[in-house]
Parts: sequence; C-alpha cells; structure tokens
Amino acid sequence: MRNPLRNPFSRPTRARPFEPSPASEVDDELAFHLEERVQDLVARGVDPVVARKQALARFGDIRGVRSECEELLEADRRAERRRDLWADVAQDVRFGVRAALRAPLFSLLAIITIALGVGANAAVFGVVKSVLLDALPYADADRLVRVYAQAKSGTNDRLSLTAGQVVDIAERVRSFERAAVFFPLTQQFAFSTSDTPYPMQAGLAGANFFDVLGVRPVLGRSFTADDMKAGAPPVVVLGHSVWRERLAGDSGAIGRTVRLDGKAVTVIGVLPPGFVGPMGPVDAWVPLDISASLRDAVRARKSSWLGVVARLGPGVTMESAGREVAALGTALEREHPDDADPLVTLTAKGLRDDLAGDVRTQLIVLTASAALVLLITCANLAGALLSRTLGRRQELAVRVALGAARGRLVRQLLTESVLLSALGGILGVLLAAGGLALLRRLSLDIVPAYADLSLDPLVVAGAFLLALATGIAFGVAPAVTAARVDPQSALREEARGGTGTLRVSRLRGTLAAGQIALCVSLVASALLLGRSLWLLTNEPLGFDPDGVFTASFEVRAAEYPTTNARTAFTRLLDERIRAIPGVTDVAFSSALPSALSSRNGFTIDGQQLRSPADMPFVLYASVSGSYFSTLRVGLKEGRLFTSGDRAGAPTVMVISEAMANRYWPSGNAVGARIRMGPDPKSPLIEIVGVVADIRNDLTAAAAEPMAYGSSLQDTGVDRLLVRTTGDPVALAGPVQRELAALNPGMPLYQASTLRTSIDRGFAGRRVPLLLIAGFGGLALLLAAVGVYAMVANMVAARSREFGIRLALGAGRRSIMLLVLRQGGTWIGAGLVAGAIGVTLAVRLIRGMLYGVSPLDPLSIAGAAALLVVAAAIALFGPVRRAVQVDPITVIR
Amino acid sequence: MFAKDSGLLQGTLELLVLKTLTWGPMHGYGIATWIESATDDALRIEEGSLYPALYRMTRKGWIKGTWGTTENNRRAKYYKLTVEGERQFREQRTGWQQFSSLVSEVVGTSRAPSWAR
Repeated sequence: MRNPLRNPFSRPTRARPFEPSPASEVDDELAFHLEERVQDLVARGVDPVVARKQALARFGDIRGVRSECEELLEADRRAERRRDLWADVAQDVRFGVRAALRAPLFSLLAIITIALGVGANAAVFGVVKSVLLDALPYADADRLVRVYAQAKSGTNDRLSLTAGQVVDIAERVRSFERAAVFFPLTQQFAFSTSDTPYPMQAGLAGANFFDVLGVRPVLGRSFTADDMKAGAPPVVVLGHSVWRERLAGDSGAIGRTVRLDGKAVTVIGVLPPGFVGPMGPVDAWVPLDISASLRDAVRARKSSWLGVVARLGPGVTMESAGREVAALGTALEREHPDDADPLVTLTAKGLRDDLAGDVRTQLIVLTASAALVLLITCANLAGALLSRTLGRRQELAVRVALGAARGRLVRQLLTESVLLSALGGILGVLLAAGGLALLRRLSLDIVPAYADLSLDPLVVAGAFLLALATGIAFGVAPAVTAARVDPQSALREEARGGTGTLRVSRLRGTLAAGQIALCVSLVASALLLGRSLWLLTNEPLGFDPDGVFTASFEVRAAEYPTTNARTAFTRLLDERIRAIPGVTDVAFSSALPSALSSRNGFTIDGQQLRSPADMPFVLYASVSGSYFSTLRVGLKEGRLFTSGDRAGAPTVMVISEAMANRYWPSGNAVGARIRMGPDPKSPLIEIVGVVADIRNDLTAAAAEPMAYGSSLQDTGVDRLLVRTTGDPVALAGPVQRELAALNPGMPLYQASTLRTSIDRGFAGRRVPLLLIAGFGGLALLLAAVGVYAMVANMVAARSREFGIRLALGAGRRSIMLLVLRQGGTWIGAGLVAGAIGVTLAVRLIRGMLYGVSPLDPLSIAGAAALLVVAAAIALFGPVRRAVQVDPITVIR
Repeated sequence: MFAKDSGLLQGTLELLVLKTLTWGPMHGYGIATWIESATDDALRIEEGSLYPALYRMTRKGWIKGTWGTTENNRRAKYYKLTVEGERQFREQRTGWQQFSSLVSEVVGTSRAPSWAR
C-alpha cells in the first residue's frame, strides 16, 4: 500500500528500504511451515528428530518448490516496480498540474506562447508540404515534364506551342517515353442533363493525356486515338465532383448522354477525386483534335495555343531532356525558316516546378518567418522557465533538505515544462488546423490547385514533437541549475538574490537581445513588403473599377455563324441591359481590364525591322466603342471607336498613351498606320485615337503599351462590363434574365464586380504579406514580453539592493537610470544584432519587393522604432516598480 | 497432498485455497492443515506444492500476502482474499458444483448405452 505520508520526491526504491530479497522471503516462509509442522508433531508425542524427517517428507521436493517460488516472487516484484514508476510519473503530472495552477499567468503565457509558435509553424509547413513536398495527383510525378515555347529575349518562358511543334516533340524527342497534347487554358461550356444548363469549365486533352499523367478513370475509360478522329461520336470524361453532383454518383453513368453547349455527348469515363490537370481545375474533359490545325499550313506553324506534358523515358534525366528539347527548337527553326516564329525556342520544365513555380519564394519566406517566430518563442520560454525555477529555489532547497533525490527533482521540473509544452502543442495544432481551414476557404490563387492544404498526421506529429522538444530543451537548463541547489546556502540566502543571479540575468539578457534581433528582421521584412504593396495598390489603375458589374458569355459560332449575326446579338444584348434601371453604360471586350493576356506583334508602316526578332509586341484587346466611357478612361488625342468602324470599313485602332509615347515619341501617333504580325501583306490599320494608360500587370507600377481593336471589326468579344449607379452585385439577376430572354441556352459565366476581380489580382501579394505581417506582430509581442520579463526579473532580484541604495540617500532618478541602463544595453545589443539579420532577410525577399530599395531606410528605421516603442512599453512597468521600492519593506 | 501426480487439478487446489481464505487471513501452514482436516487427510500428499500455487494466485491478484505475527509471536506471511479473489471464488465454486454434480450423475447412472443393451 502507498504510504500517504511518503515524501513525493523520494526514489521509489526508498519506499521499502528493508524489503528482503525474494530468496530470503521464500526461505522464511517455507521454514515457518516446516517448524510449525515439527512443533505439531512433537506436541503429539513424536520424537523431534523423527518429526523433522516426517515434516520434510510431507513437504515433498523442497528445492523445487523453493526455486519455483523465488522465480514467481521475482517476477511479481518486477511488475510492482513498473507500476511504481508509472505511479511516480502520474504523481509528477499531478504535481505539475498543481504547480502550473499555482502560477496561472505564467502557465497561460507559456502555453499560449508555445501554441502560437508551434501553430504558425505547423500551418505554414502544412502549406509547404502540400505545395512543394506532397506527391502531385499523378503517378510517378517527378518523371513528368511540361514543354513550353520560350521567348529568346527571356521575357516569357511559358509560351504555348504550335500544332506542328507538338507533333515534332511527340515524334522526335527520344528522352520522352510518351508525350500528350492539351489545351493549356480552360473553356466554358454549358453542361446539362435535363433543361437547366450549368456553366462549367472544360479541359481539352489529347488521346494519351491521362496515360502520360498516369491517371486511371474510376469508371469507364479515358480517351483513345479513335475518339480524336474527325466524325467520331462525341465523348466526354467527367471530373469526380461533377459526376457526384450532377449525375448523383450514378455507377451506370458510362454510356449516358449529357449535353455540352446543347450538343449530345456520351459519358465514357469518370476520373478519380482530387485529380487536377496542368490546365487547372476543370469539370469535364473533351477530346482535343489537332489534325485540322496540322492540315492548315499557316496555322500548323504559326498559331501557338497548345501545351505538352511528357513522361521521361527510363534513366533519362530532366537536364538531358531539357537539352534535347532545346536542340529540337533550334532544329525546327532551321527546318521551317518561313513559318517558325523566329522569336521563340523550346524549353522543358519539371511539372512540379512548373505548377508550384511562382509560390516557391513566398513559401520559403513564410517558412523562414514562422521559424523565426518559433525561435523567439523558444527564447521567451527559456527565459521565463529560468526565472521561474530561480524563484522556486527556496521551495526546491526545502525539498532537497527533506531528502528529495536531485534526480527526482529534475524529473519533476522536466515534467512540468513538458506538461506546459504538450498543452501548448495541442492548442498550436488546433490553431494550425483552423488557419489551414481558413486558407482552404479563401482558395487563393497563389496556392496551386493540386495542393489540398491538409494538416496531415505527419505535420501534426512534427508540430507536437517540436513543442515537446521546446519544452524539454528549455526545461532542462533550469532543472539542472535547480538540482545543483545547495540547500544550506539557498535557505540562508532567503529572499536575497543568490550568487547565481548575475549569471542568470546575463543569460536572460542575451535571450531578450536575441529575440529583439530576430524580431527586427521579421518586422523590417514585413514593413518592406507592406510598403511595396501600398505603393502598388495606390498606383492609379488608369480606370475606375467601382460600380462596374462584369460577366462573360459565349457567342457560339454554331448558333451565330456570321459576323453580322454576332454583332446583332451583342447589339440586342446591349439594348436590353441598358434598359435595366440604374445602368448608365454597357461595354463589351475580349478581356477584362488588368487581365489582358494576348500580345500582338506589329510593324509600323514605312519602317523596316533590322531582324524579325526586333518586332515589338503590345497587349491587345478587342473592345466596343463604349468600353472607354464605361471604365472612365480618358481620350488623350484623336477619337474613340464609332458605329462606323464596322466590318467592311477601314480597320482602325485606338492605342494607349504608353504605346504612343514609346513608338511615336515625336507625338504623331494619330493617323499613323501599322500592320499586325510579321506578314508584310497583312492589311494596314490606322491609329485613330490615343487613350489614357491602364495598368495590366497589377504587380508592376508602370503601364504596358496597349492596343485596342474595334469589336465591330474584331468580333471575339465575350466579356460584359456594365456601369450602374446602384450596387453592381445586384445586377447579376437582371442581366442573367435579359441574356436568357435572348437565348435561353446561353449561361452567364463568372458574374462578379470589377472591383472583386481587381482585388483578386492583388491577393497573390496581399496574403503572404498579411501572414508575414502577422508573424511580425506576433514576434513583436513576444519580444516585448521577453524584455518585460527580463527587466521585471532583474528588478525583483535587486529590489533589496535598490532599497538599500534609497536608504543610503540615492535618488529615485538614479535608480530609474540604473534599470533603464541595464534594460537599454540589452535592447541596444539586440538592435545591433538585428541589423545583421535584416541584411540577410532582405536578400530572401528582394524578389518580392516593388518600388522600395531592399535597404529602404524608412522601413528599417521603422522596424527599429517599433521595437524601441514596444521595449519602452515593456520597460515601463518594471521601472515604475523599481522606483517605487519602499526601503523599509525590502530591508526589513 | 496436492502433488503434481496426485491427480488433483491445479484449479482445484486454487479453489480450495480460496475457500480456506473466505474464513479470514491465514498463513501457508494454516491453509495446508485446514484443507487436510476438512478433507479428513484424504488428500494428504506433498504440502510443498501449495506454495507455488499461493505465489501464482498472488500474481493474479486474487490473494495478497503480508508479514505478520502468529499467536506464538512468530513471524509468518498471512494471505488474504482480495476483492478479485472473492469474485473468483464465487465463480469457481458455481462452476465446480455444476461440474461435479454432472460427473457424479453420469458415474452413478444405471442407464446403459444402446450398444450395451
């Protein structure tokens, strides 16, 4: 039975100090039996010698019994010792909980600190793992490459391929085991199983596209070469979610007929859940046939619109495949001197690098920030634990004096810190799960579509281990210090600061300085990024995005085969939408402002290019005449499009100021004539007007040169822009109704406000910045707490000294200066060390900066100032306490 | 008694020990003599085999041994039933009674099997 008065700190072996060995215990018991038997027999009149013999005979094999009993008892003792150990651990935990509850503020702070540090790291690592480490949703994904055309000027290395290039790559690149063609963008489709059409995104894929990716349908089959042939029955492969939601997960879906844009199509396969193609998330896949493009001699080599994924052959490295693809690019240029685009060559990239590409730097920066926060957390915790243990010297000394084993004391203190860190770890994992859920809901463009952002068991386990390691690492030092407590001197010292105080205060000071140094780099980085984003968002866009509703629709060539029919349709739609109350302007365009993607090359009439590679490229969009008034883009010179700029009339163009200034620096752009493309026989186009600039790349401040064609002459418009005096969101319903009145089978896609789509363009920069700023704020808070704790501790330890000084006539001012000097020294040391950290940090974020120098004095001074302010706030309390020391109370 | 070759089953010995201890704590010698007297010395072979049984029952948590003193002021290890031991006793007693009445019924029956008629 456990003795309730037993010293909880004594070793378990001491609980039974006089416990006999199993052998002697068994011997005693058996001897007692034999002696009793002998006595019994003697009492009945048997001779003692005979009685002894009889007793032994009745007992039987005494040796066998003895050894068997000894073994059993030995095993029993071992089991009991194990139970004792667990009981001790349980006791340590109970004791730890009580100790933690006795200092609730310290415990809560420690738990929250660990939770924040671990949570930030687990969440960020969850993202990093999903994006950079997890397997792509393809078989053996590291053997997959994507082939691009690459601009020789180096401006763009992710251009589309021509049909001719696709065939050459598939047939001639020997490094590839297999290659498949696909359309790198998605297409809008109206999907229906009955009457109501649903807007959907479809991908176009070649015959062996799914085989190359190594994805097998869960139902039915994927495309075969037969599906690609002209005249083959139309088929579709559905994504898992569409099959589940629109076909109710029908296991007999294969062979069913659905309608895509009103056309009957047979379902031949359903893909596994989680599959995302390199073209991004789509709902359904249809066959991509490039044979028509190949037959057309001009389109085969001149029209770039395709993508290729390929699987490396056995033993082929990414590098050698890249070299072979580049060599093919050079060869093709030689073989097709008239047709091949002289500006581009070919390049191959690993598929993962390609998909994760842009976010890599941001993720590395985020990981580094989270790691810094964790380091600050650790330093903070170490300092706090150190002081706390020191504050308990008395208690510990009493225990040692009462006979507690030092080892047991260390174990107790370790249990306490592990307990705190385990709780912090659990809370941190919960925080991380919440953070990732939030990120998932935001479904950010910066995170590639294939990343599922899950908090998987590995991350949870890692985070938890991290928390435990933090607790142990920073519990050990104080625990060992405590174990070295000399009870006599510790008890005699009473409340005076002990001899170890100087060493400990130095250690605490170093920890606080370290926190400040780390914090400076983080805060400076956040400020630099914040200033970049502020500069970007405040750079005028060049148009007014507020109060504008946008959506897209698709005028299908099958329904509206002629230019006139398409023009008539948009005119009717224009009239109907203008009739909606509140609408002040309606415009059509081929792309939303700030989201133009097509660039056209041109030559100025009368100018000779030195080489085709010198041909200038500008952003291009086809727009209706009202585009500029709807977006409130000012006319600078000449005129805008009129209803007279229609098919059949001379082709005209409106250009942006940037384009006019760059190519007609002397200011005679209006009236100038250009040709689109390198073909000298293409029609001449007259520039009739110059409009104000619009920023297209929101991450850059300067507007790119832009050219606009009239939508009446270049009819590829599918975007709708509606300016209203009311809330643009409210227009979605009425606009949808007007479209349905004109053509019930035509759905409205991507209904949104222009402001929303602009903001989405900034999200890629805003979210990482918000996270880093959050980490910076967290670091600032932690560092302030660290400084506060250090100085508060110092003041508490020296309050007696301060009292004596005051009693001896020192002014309160001199005490204040004393505290400030000591605190300030460490803060200063931290700031100096932080300067080194900043130079390292900016190297990492240089690529994410815009408009500010990496060593922007304002941001760095700002970071230092923020820290000084935070430290000053942290110093305020302890300094006041030092000054208010009452000599009589502390000396007595 | 209780010899390995006495034909007495291990479980039977444990049941007898449990029964003995229902009267109160007792040392090994006391248990042995009580069983002997209760069975009129009929099972009297090799008392030693009682002890491994006691140790095994201790490990199983049915009984618990503590050192105490006898009326003659001698140190002896007293065994007493644990709660689990009491439960074991009730269970095993029921089992034994059912088993033995079945066996005695079969052994005492006059009904001959069909092939003997």
